[in-house]
Amino acid sequence: MDSASSTLEPVFTYVAHSISTVEQAFYRLPGSAIIERYVRSSHQNDPGRTLLEVILIILVIRTLMQSRTRADRNGKNFIEFSEKEIDELVDEWTPEPLTQPLTPAEEAELSAVSIVAGPNGPKPKLVNTGKTAYNLASLNFTGLAGNEHIKQKAIETLRKYGVGSCGPAGFYGTVDVHLELERDIADFLGTEEAILYSQGFSTISSVIPAFCKRGDIIVADRGVTLAIQKGIQISRSTVRWFDHNDLRSLEEVLQSVEKERKKKRAPLTRRFIVTEGIFERDGAMTDLPKLIELKTKYKYRLILDETFSFGSVGRTGRGLTELYNVPAEKVDMLIGSVAIGLCAGGGFCAGSKNVVEHQRINGPAFVFSASMPPLLAVSGSEGINVLRSSPSILASLQENIHAAHAILDRVDCITIPSHSISPIIHIYIRAPSNTLHPSTAAVSTKPSNPVSPLPRDAPQWDIEGEEKLLQEVVEEALAQGVMITKAKRLRGGMEISEARPSIRLAMTSALTKKETEKAVNVVKAALVKVLSKRR
Amino acid sequence: MALNRPSSSHSIFKKRSAQSPASAADYLSALSQADARARKTSSSSSSRSTPTATPALSFSSTTTGASDDTLLEGDMDNSDRLSLPPVPPTSEQVFTTVHTEFGHCANEAHRHTSQHDPNEKIRHVERDPPYYILISTYISYLILICLGHVRDFLGKRFHPSSYKHLMPRDGYAPLNSDFDSFYTRRLKKRIDECFAQPVTGVAGRTILLLDRISPDYNHTQIPTGTRTRALNISSYNYLGFAQARGGCADAVEESIKHYGVSTCGSRLEGGSCDLHTIGEALVAKFVGAEDSLISSMGFATNSTYIPAMVGKGCLVISDELNHSSIRFGVRNSGAHVRMFKHNNMANLEALLREVISQGQPKSHRPWKKILIIVEGMYSMEGTMVDLPGLLKLKKKYKFYLFVDEAHSIGAIGPHGRGVADYFGIDPNEIDILMGTFTKSFGAAGGYIAGKKALIDRLRIKGYSGPYAESMTPPVLTQIIASMSSIMGVTGADKPSSQIQNGHASPLRIGNGSSSTINEEPEYHHPGPIPPKYLPSWLNLAPELASGLEGSLRLRRLAFNSYYLHRGLHKLGFIIYGHPSSPIVPLLLFHPAKMLMFHRMMKDREVPIVTVVVGYPATPLITGRVRFCVSAAHTKEDVDEVLRACDEVGDVMDLKHGLGRGKRWDIEEVVKRAVELVNMKQEDVDDA
Repeated sequence: MDSASSTLEPVFTYVAHSISTVEQAFYRLPGSAIIERYVRSSHQNDPGRTLLEVILIILVIRTLMQSRTRADRNGKNFIEFSEKEIDELVDEWTPEPLTQPLTPAEEAELSAVSIVAGPNGPKPKLVNTGKTAYNLASLNFTGLAGNEHIKQKAIETLRKYGVGSCGPAGFYGTVDVHLELERDIADFLGTEEAILYSQGFSTISSVIPAFCKRGDIIVADRGVTLAIQKGIQISRSTVRWFDHNDLRSLEEVLQSVEKERKKKRAPLTRRFIVTEGIFERDGAMTDLPKLIELKTKYKYRLILDETFSFGSVGRTGRGLTELYNVPAEKVDMLIGSVAIGLCAGGGFCAGSKNVVEHQRINGPAFVFSASMPPLLAVSGSEGINVLRSSPSILASLQENIHAAHAILDRVDCITIPSHSISPIIHIYIRAPSNTLHPSTAAVSTKPSNPVSPLPRDAPQWDIEGEEKLLQEVVEEALAQGVMITKAKRLRGGMEISEARPSIRLAMTSALTKKETEKAVNVVKAALVKVLSKRR
Repeated sequence: MALNRPSSSHSIFKKRSAQSPASAADYLSALSQADARARKTSSSSSSRSTPTATPALSFSSTTTGASDDTLLEGDMDNSDRLSLPPVPPTSEQVFTTVHTEFGHCANEAHRHTSQHDPNEKIRHVERDPPYYILISTYISYLILICLGHVRDFLGKRFHPSSYKHLMPRDGYAPLNSDFDSFYTRRLKKRIDECFAQPVTGVAGRTILLLDRISPDYNHTQIPTGTRTRALNISSYNYLGFAQARGGCADAVEESIKHYGVSTCGSRLEGGSCDLHTIGEALVAKFVGAEDSLISSMGFATNSTYIPAMVGKGCLVISDELNHSSIRFGVRNSGAHVRMFKHNNMANLEALLREVISQGQPKSHRPWKKILIIVEGMYSMEGTMVDLPGLLKLKKKYKFYLFVDEAHSIGAIGPHGRGVADYFGIDPNEIDILMGTFTKSFGAAGGYIAGKKALIDRLRIKGYSGPYAESMTPPVLTQIIASMSSIMGVTGADKPSSQIQNGHASPLRIGNGSSSTINEEPEYHHPGPIPPKYLPSWLNLAPELASGLEGSLRLRRLAFNSYYLHRGLHKLGFIIYGHPSSPIVPLLLFHPAKMLMFHRMMKDREVPIVTVVVGYPATPLITGRVRFCVSAAHTKEDVDEVLRACDEVGDVMDLKHGLGRGKRWDIEEVVKRAVELVNMKQEDVDDA
């Protein structure tokens, strides 16, 4: 015993010596006295706290040491395997094929997609038939596609700027013509500023996550298009859904959110209403003044997707704000498509200076993508000039829409969910009388559950059957010289809810009223022919 | 902290006397002689097919006529030393590109081929700087962060009006929280001068900057109305196809006249045109896959098609440095994600063994499928993927491989076909080849290529097919023209209108298009394409159709990449990445050096614009400047960049790479450039 203590003697002295050295070094540090005093006093007051803090420090160090790519070995569910077992498991594992090959039906549908030979326009020549057809499929609302003046401007731009911008906006991809188009859009709509994205579809999917973060609240329409669904999904915000285009349901949801927040005493977070001006899914239109009223009352910010209403409604095509005479400044983030509304390329988000500047650093599709080709930006600017200077285009578009409705409204085997001034007209097959159509179904008194994207008593459709019938209509119409298309969807649970199968007509001012009537009559005949066969 | 912009009149970087610039008169007379020659050769029809020792860039005689009006727009004085080549062309040489867009370079020695050497190691080596650099970098960030918080603290009390947008107001939460925007407000704002500089004209060899000043520490930027021409070593213009003149631009003009600018809709809903099918067949041929699809935006190619391949129950293994668009797509897909260390095959293998043996978290069911997503070349590091290593693992672990060739397609490989070409690997071993047209082809958008069954599935299941606008005709034409000029067209000597009798049998999507295309027996690099791949109206200039110009561009790019990469290395800088990569990152470390480097390069006698990147695009301490070399640069341009870096690097203490004894001085680098480029990689350090 004695000998053991004598052999350990040098070890003890060494430890004692090093502790005193460390202590001295510590006291030599400036400010060490303060730390010491703090530690001592806190230990005196609450010895448990010292332990807690030590544990905290250890945890912090551990977290810092773990790299992002670490193997997840410490989880409860980790099972230890020997190398040999792993080899066996690797050999055993057979992955599913990367993708399923197309079914014959899908293949038929894909090869039936109309392809235009040469320029697209109101009467393009089709590859499929080799003949020209009236075009009620492509989105050319104001007939800007093929405008000679725009072509001329595009060529001039090509000769000055080339095609690609060869860089993201942050790194020498901001060309003066982009800034000009941004200014033109802001002036046209009457907002402070606007920002350009290089693809219309990606615009709103990027705007939503730029502002909505985890913990924020999004109240969205149940019938929004895929781009918005994806933006909401990636934002990881808390989502509440209101019934499609039903502002009363919206108000109920807004009240319930407020109640929930008060109950939990949650801090104030950002809150957004996300909806569309004219819905891509069915052509319904939002009552903007009422929406603005609700948003102001409940202090929400409004993200409004005007992809289908910008460049198609309002006296000069400024969209819903012009139609309802609401100042565009009241819409916090107004998203539109340069590709669809102005027949060029890309999309935009208009709003206040803060809103726009924020996206220049935080909008993923803006920051990480090359800016749009300058010649498309100039085409967009010229498109705005055309709209500004000739409001008659919009008037004739409305006339054509009206004419189409007049014909289709008399067809009794279909229903039309679209608003009477929407440039896209969706056509549903009227359900056979023995099943209840959702609009005639007894309206349940209980509101839908705002957490679920599906409404209460979600209506069911025979999607496959209806799609097949509608495809027959499309092919029948094409045989008669009118190009139309089904509204194409991602089926099989890729969207939050299955949209009802429909045919989507896109009206254009480039056809005269007579031509429109002729084309829509062909569609009507095809509908009647195919759908009467069904019974 | 506010750095005073050195007044340009007595900048220390003007000591080098300007070389006597070629007089404008000399240049003009040479040009007019060249013009006359060009006209003569083009009128004597097909006698051009035999290339001379210097395959001169001559697109068509009309561009020469057009080019002098561009040159005469006040640029003829050449005071910026960028508008005219230092040596005027002899009457033998016909250059019809505009020198400011695509540099004139006739020296055949300044060419190289990017090809894998079997002995070469692909591992990414990060060189660390001395400790004092690391520590002072951390301290700089610490100071910036502390100062930022102090300013926020005081500002909120004494100047609340400027913090209004960060505070809750009338029941609205602030749009961006104080905490989230701290980095942007307090760090990035200080160096905002380096970002989002507006430009005009072509982003070619040079670029015209629209000058701006900020009177209030970058809160507002005011355009001054003046313009500065600068040497552009920043744009993704690898093959120099960003041109407003020349064969590709002519083709695009033709297409705008014919097609207009829009196709009005998504691919599946009335927005498809014949150019899409032609373009897709061509892209498939180019990358060596069965079929391909084209999307109108590069970012969206990843973000909208990845969710169509993987979903719940699938695992995506992603390189830690993958681009944001890939992360966006993976997050939207609902698949489980794991990351592995950048380009580290050992780390990947360990991860693969773990995930396959463990199966899905909690349930331990086997994964439905595992998709590994890597980039061919990484945009911030310039590193090249270890493709042979990956394919070795792929055989054993049966995962699917997705290679994002955004930066490598067109830029590397002896035939410009990307990483597979560089390593001499059959591209069909990669399941999904993705790439963009923004970079090498001077266009926009992206593609995905692979087996026909996969592509057809993606056409209907990807978000873009039904919902996103299709690619516009001018962009498609630029892609078709530039891509076919790299591949070359068979029978190019004959006028192409005779060969084609219209496109009566258009390549319809989903209708066995690949079977009609792949009539020829499969061979590795398909070589020139038959003219049926091009639209019938497209009359490609002979130089483009012969493929001579395409190969010239590839070899010029390879020379420039190797030269800049090795030149900087030899000067002693810390350089990341692979020498054949046109992306050359030079490590700066300190945040303040990023601004200073940018400014000192821009304020030189020959202004050079650079891209500086720091956190969060890179790890906190490895702030860097990223050069993007182009085939449009001449050797003299790269010399200029090297000289500039040498001077700035000495002032800013940036040379921490190669040991002093092994370094070369700048004159030696410039003189022995060709030797340097042709050296074996392992000899570079010791030479």
